[in-house]
Amino acid sequence: MFVARSIAADHKDLIHDVSYDFHGRRMATCSSDQSVKVWDKSENGEWHCTASWKTHSGSVWRVTWAHPEFGQVLASCSFDRTAAVWEEIVGESNDKQRGLSHWIKRTTLVDSRTSVTDVKFAPKHMGLMLTTCSADGVVRIYEAPDVMNLSQWSLQHEISCKLSCSCISWNPSSSRAHQPMFAVGSDDSNVTYSGKVQIYEYNENTRKYAKAETLMTVTDAVHDIAFAPNLGRSFHVLAIATKDVRIFKLVPMRKESASTGPTKLEVQIVAQFDNHNSQVWRVSWNITSTLLASSGDDGCVRLWKANYMDNWKCTGILKGDGSPLTGSSGQPTAMSTVVGSSVQTSQNALNGMSSRSELTASHASH
Amino acid sequence: IMSGSKPDILWSPHHPDRYVICDSELGLYRIGPTGGSETKAGALPLSEETAATLLAINSDTPYMKCVAWYPKHEPECLLAVGQANGRVVLTSLGQSHNTACKELVGKEFVPKHARQCNTLAWNPVDSNLLAAGLDKHRADFSVLIWDISSKFSPEASVASEKIRLSSVDLDSSTVVTKPLYELGQNDACLSLCWLLRDPKLLLAGMHRNLAIFDLRNTSQKTFVNTKAVQGVTVDPHVHDRVASFFEGQVAIWDLRKFEKPVLTLTEQPKPLTKVAWCPTRNGLLATLTRDSNIIRLYDMQHTPTPIGDETEPTIIERSVQPCESQIGSFAWHPSSQNRMVVVSAANRVMTDFTVFERISLAWSSTTSLMWACGRHLYDCSEDGAEGAIEKDIATKMRQRAQSRYGHDTVQVWRNHLLAGGKDSQLKSSHMKQCAEDMELKLQGNKQAVVYSGIKNIVKTSSGTTESRRCWSGSDRQSDVPRYHSEERCLALRLCGWISRGPDIDVEIFLRSLEHEREWERAAAVALFNLDIRRAIQILNKGATADKGDLNLNVVAMALSGYTDEKSSLWREMCSSLRLQLKNPYLCVMFAFLTSETGAYDGVLFESSVAVRDRVAFACMFLSDAQLPRYIDKLTNEMKEAGNLEGILLTGLTKDGVDLMESYVDRTGDVQTASFCMLKGSPGDVLKDPRVQCWIENYRNLLDAWRFWHKRAEFDIHRGKLDPSSKPLAQVFVSCNFCGKSISYSCSAMPHQGRGFSQYGVSGSPTKSKVTSCPGCRKPLPRCALCLMNMGTPVSNCPVTGKSEEKVDLTRENKLAQFNNWFTWCHNCRHGGHAGHMLSWFRDHTECPVSACTCKCMQLDTTGNLVPSDSS
Repeated sequence: MFVARSIAADHKDLIHDVSYDFHGRRMATCSSDQSVKVWDKSENGEWHCTASWKTHSGSVWRVTWAHPEFGQVLASCSFDRTAAVWEEIVGESNDKQRGLSHWIKRTTLVDSRTSVTDVKFAPKHMGLMLTTCSADGVVRIYEAPDVMNLSQWSLQHEISCKLSCSCISWNPSSSRAHQPMFAVGSDDSNVTYSGKVQIYEYNENTRKYAKAETLMTVTDAVHDIAFAPNLGRSFHVLAIATKDVRIFKLVPMRKESASTGPTKLEVQIVAQFDNHNSQVWRVSWNITSTLLASSGDDGCVRLWKANYMDNWKCTGILKGDGSPLTGSSGQPTAMSTVVGSSVQTSQNALNGMSSRSELTASHASH
Repeated sequence: IMSGSKPDILWSPHHPDRYVICDSELGLYRIGPTGGSETKAGALPLSEETAATLLAINSDTPYMKCVAWYPKHEPECLLAVGQANGRVVLTSLGQSHNTACKELVGKEFVPKHARQCNTLAWNPVDSNLLAAGLDKHRADFSVLIWDISSKFSPEASVASEKIRLSSVDLDSSTVVTKPLYELGQNDACLSLCWLLRDPKLLLAGMHRNLAIFDLRNTSQKTFVNTKAVQGVTVDPHVHDRVASFFEGQVAIWDLRKFEKPVLTLTEQPKPLTKVAWCPTRNGLLATLTRDSNIIRLYDMQHTPTPIGDETEPTIIERSVQPCESQIGSFAWHPSSQNRMVVVSAANRVMTDFTVFERISLAWSSTTSLMWACGRHLYDCSEDGAEGAIEKDIATKMRQRAQSRYGHDTVQVWRNHLLAGGKDSQLKSSHMKQCAEDMELKLQGNKQAVVYSGIKNIVKTSSGTTESRRCWSGSDRQSDVPRYHSEERCLALRLCGWISRGPDIDVEIFLRSLEHEREWERAAAVALFNLDIRRAIQILNKGATADKGDLNLNVVAMALSGYTDEKSSLWREMCSSLRLQLKNPYLCVMFAFLTSETGAYDGVLFESSVAVRDRVAFACMFLSDAQLPRYIDKLTNEMKEAGNLEGILLTGLTKDGVDLMESYVDRTGDVQTASFCMLKGSPGDVLKDPRVQCWIENYRNLLDAWRFWHKRAEFDIHRGKLDPSSKPLAQVFVSCNFCGKSISYSCSAMPHQGRGFSQYGVSGSPTKSKVTSCPGCRKPLPRCALCLMNMGTPVSNCPVTGKSEEKVDLTRENKLAQFNNWFTWCHNCRHGGHAGHMLSWFRDHTECPVSACTCKCMQLDTTGNLVPSDSS
């Protein structure tokens, strides 16, 4: 049962991204108002904005935290064609007393010629590495060779994906059995270019990233992509936000010792849900990758959960403004597709599920 | 044919709940919440929450081509209607008692030559000015600007003066034929809008160009040749930004550089019918094409100002589907965020629709969900109340960690109770650990025996003897052969059927089952031990017990009729009816009684019966040839399913890791996997990369939850079982003079801290003096506050009584000792006694050393976080 409450964000324009730190005690938001805000959770559970500053000269698309062992470090990316790295420092004034913190720009990454659409830190076991992707279809991987000096970043890899990139996600697996891997999604709306999700893997011999897989069945624009926390599982799970919610399972095939190419992945679609009945905008996994949240143009947030048999079901729907979902559905478009199957009550949190999605899931898993 | 004219919608400029639909007539509607007191029976539902009530209809003005709502507050319901003959008529909806309105309503503005009026636009500032755009006439102008306050037509001035004197003839006084301005000669005007940046400027979509007319100098116009001349509209937020369209293509113009469009949007296959800027959102343009049920939205992001470099503004394109039917027209609500009313192309079906902002979201490590919708944030967390949905494993693991799940290393079997005690799989996995515990004791701890599973035990089975025992309570010699061996006996112990020691009686087990009210299971176990009388007794007891099931008596009755006659009616009935028994144990009882010797599939493959009961059964009744085959099969089944009950079979071997892998793959429960596998052999199992990976992931989870104490306890527990996991000493302090480590005396047990370092000085009471370097005997640095040498015990806690009695390690005492620890700042390298430093920083931000401005206490953000599992 989930209950929503509103927080006064005080951004002057649309918020494009929210991001939690490792411990879930801090949060960063970024907006079209070109600013980033940092929020701290007090002991009583309230969120307080402790820093807000102009970061870019365009909309800020994404903001993300580095692992705390690298310090209090944020990265942001923007329509202004740059990505930036920010570090919290001890203020010169008594900021801390006033509940404020001070962030300074450590570097601006200016390699992209177009809007930088996503920025992500690599898993911490790889060191302090930062990845960006941009509208011109280039993924860039930067490394800070000296973790004490965040103003020095060297461009380690530049990978051309051919299609305009909208989102990127690192495989978080820290298992030595898995090579570093990331997935990149494209929002190119031309359905004739199939395979809007590409998966790249690091090859130790060539010391380069090579394409391991293209998900050819994803033909529509992809808005978001998220590898599930691996948690020691033997396979990887990838959630994709496109015209529907999709969950893929990537099972690494046992590698013959002699082969040097990328790991062969067996791609299985585990679930496919069109309950949003519109473009799906974001997907996010919980820490154990047992709950998936998605948001769509229907203005709703949906929660998905798998049972023991790997059948995914919708376990909750909330409206984007946190208000209860009344009647048989939130809006006419949704009404037409989940006819009769949704058993929704006037609570914010619901256990309603559509039999349609169940069918989709079981069908897909066969 | 006017009746077929396409519908349009206009929101009232002043009443946020009113709008007009114009098709063949004008209909004024009021929108309100469904079920509100204002909604009447005839209200039309527009959405889940809202409905519309028809307030007024006006069908006085036929041949409508375009409508524009008077922008000033008074008169409030005045509309200008452009007709097919080019006339513009002022009309009103509903009753108005406003005298100004009465004067204006019915007024007509007539062009010299009749042709279609395409568009109307009220001047936003000088509301007397109404611009009308007309089709082409070679001898006339196509843009006429009327002054609605004109009293009469100048041509008829003489006549009208007379009329005015008489002041009765309303008809002729309402006709105005002389426009204030005439623009665009010998041209056509398709669309018009007044520019917001200067209300003297009128932008017109002419036949082949966009033109800007300046009322101060009508002889001149600025124009640009383009086909995109339809639907010109100014962005209410960016007054220099204009949109216009042609066929399926929208052009965006910047009036400051009017030579060419700054942007053209992706061409639509069907011709556009309406393009409108969102009044509540900066840079949001909505477009509609013919025969379509979707509205396309273009979110224009601010163009950065690059130095010398050209860039295009970026567009986020979306489409929304407000209704199922094809859309005739739509109109943004003037003030409600992102809201519009949509009217269908046919039958005037209306929909109230809000375009939702795209929501971005994120889960926190503690399973609360934050999302951003528009400019707002929503924090959503799992309600503490026991919901109908099963709790997520992340929540479960957190709760289990808090209840010290896995930490009861003495009574391992109690761990499933710590886990909540509801999960039968966890219970059995800890039963196994309990059994393992027992096995260790059995074998007298000869060596570190690691539980290797019944699979391996029965493999080595030798010296099996066969016995045929009588049924207790029956005189007949039983046909049932039972097998015995030392290994089988051990397996039965592991299954929990017989207890440790030489006693092989199941009676103790039966009693415990009775105590747990597991009547059917107890009866089945009794029966498998060939004690039919005991089985019946148990069932009777179950039937008569408080809230007992009386049907158990019926079962007992059936049982008492047991006969081993192969062709008896009893057998026939039992083997067919047993499948209808809902309880699996009752079912397998009759399966056992009715089956042929050695063919016990009805028992062995009844998956609802606990694995340990089936395995115990197999160990009693399967031959040396059958048993390993069955155990192998069952093992593989358990491995495949990731069923923890199977750990009984696999033990903590590689097989067990395989099984656990499958369990983790399904559940993500690395907590159980970590605790379970810690007991495995350090060589094979603990070194398995999968096990290492689960342990690392579990520790990482504990860290993310700030369960640092739990993580530390886990590490201690792990260190006991896997000594190689112990980390080396982390911090050494070396003497300023000789450079040697000063911590010789406590090197055996260095204090380990997190986030800051300290040197224990008063931990060992045997140390007499540690204020000097043990190497060179030079004094150690001084505390920045008390100026005592490091190592000098300080007392800043008031001495309680005659303190020198005994070293009482109470919590308070430990804290007092911690105050003596020497701490320092890594940044400025000043330090002192922990207690002194803490009390200093309670009131200060900077280091206590003079001229040092280091903000020591604020340097480490993680260090300021408190663990969430401390008591």
